Amino acid sequence: MGQYEVVHALTIRETRTRFGAHQLGYLWALVEPALMILTFYVLFAFAGRSAPTGMTLFSFIATGICPFLIFSSTVTFVSNAINGNKALLYYPQVNPIDVVIARVFLEFATYVGVFLVLLGLETLVLRKASVSDPLLIVYGFGLASLLGAGLGLVFLGLGQLSNAMERARGPLMRPFFWVSGIFFTADGMPPQARELVLWNPVLHTVELCRAGWFERYNDTHATPSYALIWAVCLLLVGLLLERVVRRKIDLT
Amino acid sequence: MIELRHITKSYSTPFGPNVVLDDITVLIPTGQSLGILGQNGAGKSTLMRIIGGAEMPDSGTIVREGKVSWPIGFAGGFNGSLTGEDNCKFVARIYGQDVDRVIDETREFAEVGKYFYMPVRTYSSGMKARVAFGLSMAIDFDVYLVDEVTAVGDKRFREKCAAVFNERQAYSSMIMISHSMPTLRAQCTRGAVLTKSGFSVFDTIDEAISVYEEGLKR
Repeated sequence: MGQYEVVHALTIRETRTRFGAHQLGYLWALVEPALMILTFYVLFAFAGRSAPTGMTLFSFIATGICPFLIFSSTVTFVSNAINGNKALLYYPQVNPIDVVIARVFLEFATYVGVFLVLLGLETLVLRKASVSDPLLIVYGFGLASLLGAGLGLVFLGLGQLSNAMERARGPLMRPFFWVSGIFFTADGMPPQARELVLWNPVLHTVELCRAGWFERYNDTHATPSYALIWAVCLLLVGLLLERVVRRKIDLT
Repeated sequence: MIELRHITKSYSTPFGPNVVLDDITVLIPTGQSLGILGQNGAGKSTLMRIIGGAEMPDSGTIVREGKVSWPIGFAGGFNGSLTGEDNCKFVARIYGQDVDRVIDETREFAEVGKYFYMPVRTYSSGMKARVAFGLSMAIDFDVYLVDEVTAVGDKRFREKCAAVFNERQAYSSMIMISHSMPTLRAQCTRGAVLTKSGFSVFDTIDEAISVYEEGLKR
């Protein structure tokens, strides 16, 4: 059996499991980030903070949250690929990597869809379409997804080696929420702080998406190759770890 | 044909590695049904998972000719939040089978009525077993691995299973684990005994049973 068929069948299965058998389930995928954006919108509005020039508050938050969610949600789903699906591994043609590929693909498709719906709606309301460079957005989303896949694989491997590592994932992931540019742009930061946060590759994916969406956002500090190197290294380490733990997966 | 060459498998425990299978070498020819006997904890189910390819051995190689089933009698491969139909579709797809045919045959065999279109978590264990068994019969395997399947289900279900197995034996092989001697005698031609000291195959199931019972007395 080809790997393609297996990944295809897994993707359908994962979609059904996550969103339920009804079409309405897809709405939930939309509701969660929409509520998050709304919460921040209200908070920002009360705090009297406004978006950097050339951006509406809504699209500023949305362009930050969508790539971040692709990253963090891919990490979560990939690192649970074995433990959440142990029974599937009884079918010898299903390998952990197949589950990982299906989940990465599903997360990517979900948040690209969410992004399109949310910002599409805003464009309709404001009657103003201003996508500066769609390819940059695709690039940013792709990088966020690859970073998530790589880090998720690393956690997947470490989690099979030790239980403590599995529990450490949540706390380790939390700082990303604050330093990935959901609430700020790299340009708006004091230079010293900027130096620091630019070490975070996820921030570069957010910056890329904003550069792609906002026409006048030229002061981007995104270095795509930096994020790409991170993604490739994480993927290499993650795939290596998968080979190490492959024989140790305990089905019982 | 299934050939195991020097298969070793151990699990790590807090008290050091527990060697379950120690250097097992055996050849199981096609067209025969082999009953495997062994005490609890001897490693029968581990052996089945390794033959089926669900787990990898620590060392050694396995040669499989033909399509080998997953250990039948196990319904854990189902996802509880999906319907019986969706679960069957998934399995049919990964085995490259005609999805509609597999669905029809499984539904007919399982006799769970409209529950077939409801989430598997609402099933009783008997219903789950019937769907799982029907599904494994709907896919054409060359070798069926059977792990205590007759332990679940009522008399009627057991009879139905036995009938399907007998019909299948004309063109498929079977490797069966059971603690029920009558079942093994009825279904298997050859027998094997798995103990800590190794895996020995006998030409008749009766011979294997007497060796196994001899071992229990000691």
